[in-house]
Amino acid sequence: MMVTDLKTSFSSYLNQTSSAAALAVFRMMFGVLMMISMLRFWYKGWIFQLYIEPKHHFTFYGFEWIKPLGPYTYLLFIVAILSALLICIGLFYRGASMLFFLSFTYIELMDKTTYLNHYYFISLLSFLLIFLPANAYFSVDAWRKPSINSDKIPSWCTDSIRLLVVILYFYAGLAKLNSDWLFHALPMKIWLPAKNDIPLIGGLFNELWVAYLFSWIACLYDLSIAFLLLYKPTRKLAFLSVVTFHLLTSLLFPIGMFPYIMIGTAMIFFSTGFHHALIGKIAAILTISHSFLTPVRTYSFSKFQQNLATGGLLIFFSFQLLLPFRYLLYPGELFWTEEGYRFSWRVMLMEKMGAASFIVKDELGKTIEVDNKEFLTPQQEKMMATQPDMMLQYAHILKEHYEIAGFKNPEIYADTYVSLNGRIGKALIDPTVDLSKEKESFRPKYWILPFQDEIKGL
Amino acid sequence: MKNNKVLILFLLLAAMSSCVDSTEKITQPDVSNDRKEMLTFWVEELILPSYAEFDKDLQAMVISAEEFTTNPTEASLSAFRTSWTEAYISWQNVEMYEVGPAEKYTLRSFYNIYPADVAGIQNNINSGTANLNLPSAYAQQGFPALDFLLNGVAAQDENILAFYQDSEKGAQRLSYVNVLVSRMNTLLDQVISDWKGTAKADFISRTGLDIGSSTASLVNAYVLYYERHVRSGKFGIPSGATIASAGTPNPDKVEAYYKKDISGKLAKTAQLAFSNFFNGIANGKQGPSLKSYLNSIDAKDPSTGKLLSEYINEQFSIIENLVEALSDDYYYQIETDNDAMVKVYQEMQKAVRILKVDMTSAMSITITYTDNDGD
Repeated sequence: MMVTDLKTSFSSYLNQTSSAAALAVFRMMFGVLMMISMLRFWYKGWIFQLYIEPKHHFTFYGFEWIKPLGPYTYLLFIVAILSALLICIGLFYRGASMLFFLSFTYIELMDKTTYLNHYYFISLLSFLLIFLPANAYFSVDAWRKPSINSDKIPSWCTDSIRLLVVILYFYAGLAKLNSDWLFHALPMKIWLPAKNDIPLIGGLFNELWVAYLFSWIACLYDLSIAFLLLYKPTRKLAFLSVVTFHLLTSLLFPIGMFPYIMIGTAMIFFSTGFHHALIGKIAAILTISHSFLTPVRTYSFSKFQQNLATGGLLIFFSFQLLLPFRYLLYPGELFWTEEGYRFSWRVMLMEKMGAASFIVKDELGKTIEVDNKEFLTPQQEKMMATQPDMMLQYAHILKEHYEIAGFKNPEIYADTYVSLNGRIGKALIDPTVDLSKEKESFRPKYWILPFQDEIKGL
Repeated sequence: MKNNKVLILFLLLAAMSSCVDSTEKITQPDVSNDRKEMLTFWVEELILPSYAEFDKDLQAMVISAEEFTTNPTEASLSAFRTSWTEAYISWQNVEMYEVGPAEKYTLRSFYNIYPADVAGIQNNINSGTANLNLPSAYAQQGFPALDFLLNGVAAQDENILAFYQDSEKGAQRLSYVNVLVSRMNTLLDQVISDWKGTAKADFISRTGLDIGSSTASLVNAYVLYYERHVRSGKFGIPSGATIASAGTPNPDKVEAYYKKDISGKLAKTAQLAFSNFFNGIANGKQGPSLKSYLNSIDAKDPSTGKLLSEYINEQFSIIENLVEALSDDYYYQIETDNDAMVKVYQEMQKAVRILKVDMTSAMSITITYTDNDGD
């Protein structure tokens, strides 16, 4: 009985339609912000610095074949920028969104040193966009092919973007439900005093209660904001707090484009009226006829397309809901081992710093200490020094190098020292384990030493 | 719910904009987290007075060098040695400040790179036209080169004197001594006058913690100095404790190798200066320091509740006790009981990690130099 109820209500939901304007505005906003992001990345010299200059790269498990393309890496960025432009104006939309997803995701998978949750978010958004008719309204495609021009689309299209935002915020909030964050104000307590020389408000950051207040507000904000955006009576004030919150974090932390992307994305929750007014303004500037804006047509998928898309989305979102909890399958403290840490909306959650030196021994008794900067950039070394999977990859890079350099069956040992949220540092990796013999897998890494403390919570 | 939330946010913002300097800052030295105060104390009470003190000792050395080079006698040699020793000890109080002007002129590279390059020194004497600015000439000048020239050119003092009284080459040799001493003097003058010029105000004004800020630059210089020049330079390399030296002791790489009996005094002075800087101890005064800063931001292990500054000071006293028990002559120490040297290296390595990882993490400072253990 219940099941059939659910089924009928789901299929009637699938048949619901709503204005196409929100998704069209989102498409344009997304395209513009992506172009700015990529150009900014280029302008700052990061393409060279992060993808061309380093001698070695930390690839993702299963995606080892995704590597920078030397000077052609620039081409990859050009492809991403141009496809973002096409997405923005809605020309050759389906192809452009596919191309953007592929090029952007390729870039993000080239080196896990640069992993950021918001890049992952962008990859997921662009993946969704491939299947959504974001070009059905107010796009060049619709201009060229009036037969697709529609002012109504199935509601689930816009809602799937909203759902992804709900997941992002809510899971980011869940991740903050731990004893360090809530009851020790860590890492906020460490990060805020570093900004105590900001004019006017700097002095506040010396106060412990401010660190607690920030921690609790951030947690409550993440847990509730998406729902407050969904609920019409609270929407305006919720958006105002989105703007305040993200601008404040951008003032305090070096997080680049993330705040602007989140502020832009939050507009997807706005009412039809808002999006129509915005499109009306753009149309007026471009002197576009009123009839183009009012096609009075509903975009419809074929039955087959609809089933495929909704079935795919169900799988996609179930995966999204489960993936962040994969850490439960691993023993030990997640923040310490980082097994299952990425791709889980754990944003700015801990202060972790480390030092790692590697020792190479060979059969003939030759022993040397590796000079990390011969192999890694300072940024790579810094990230490697706290993350066991990167240490393992580095050990294999070293093994290969020293074999060629004439070491006979080199063994690689890691002498590590890591501090997490202010705890006095200790070894992260068992220094007696020859890492060159260990292989990457999804199995727990037995050579990670225990944390010897407990952070309670999720 | 919504109203409360927004209310909190607005109250927060309102509080931020209204709460300026109305509350008076408590000026107890051990609770201040005002980085401007700390930077000011560092420059005015630690860096500049240490340079002034060192300058005094260097001037004494300049004078006795002049006397020696105009009239190399047993008495002038002995006076020169004494003033050289005093200046070398005093140098240990400023070597760590390789930031601002000293960094600009790379003072340490021209003052204390050892072991001395004896062949290079002899070449320079013979050619008379050495370019001492080149990196290849670092070990041909400064205190280590003078160590060789004052104590190492011959075994007996009379032979050392003969080396300078030599009718053919004596003048050239004395002239090289003069070149080295006046070069040290010039470099120090530049550093001190830069500090007294715009460098001081500039240093105090960069109060952030990002790369390029004064606190971050100084902490980087401070930890680098300890890691490379105290831990490795004074202990690790000569004792063979670094992996790079593969367990083989190199007693000829100790600091002041030719004078021998002052290497312990130099290391003790350096260690004391290093921990005094951490604790903000300057000529009996105590002021805002890394310790007081860490305490004021409540840097402590959340598991044990122990202050990070306590961990650091405990490690410093372990090291001080070990160093205290060593001979003043590290060459002799390595030859007779090298394990004691190795032990110091190991404890210093622990201190390096606490400073480099725990302290910088607690302060939100990025270490921008990368480890380099080569020798």
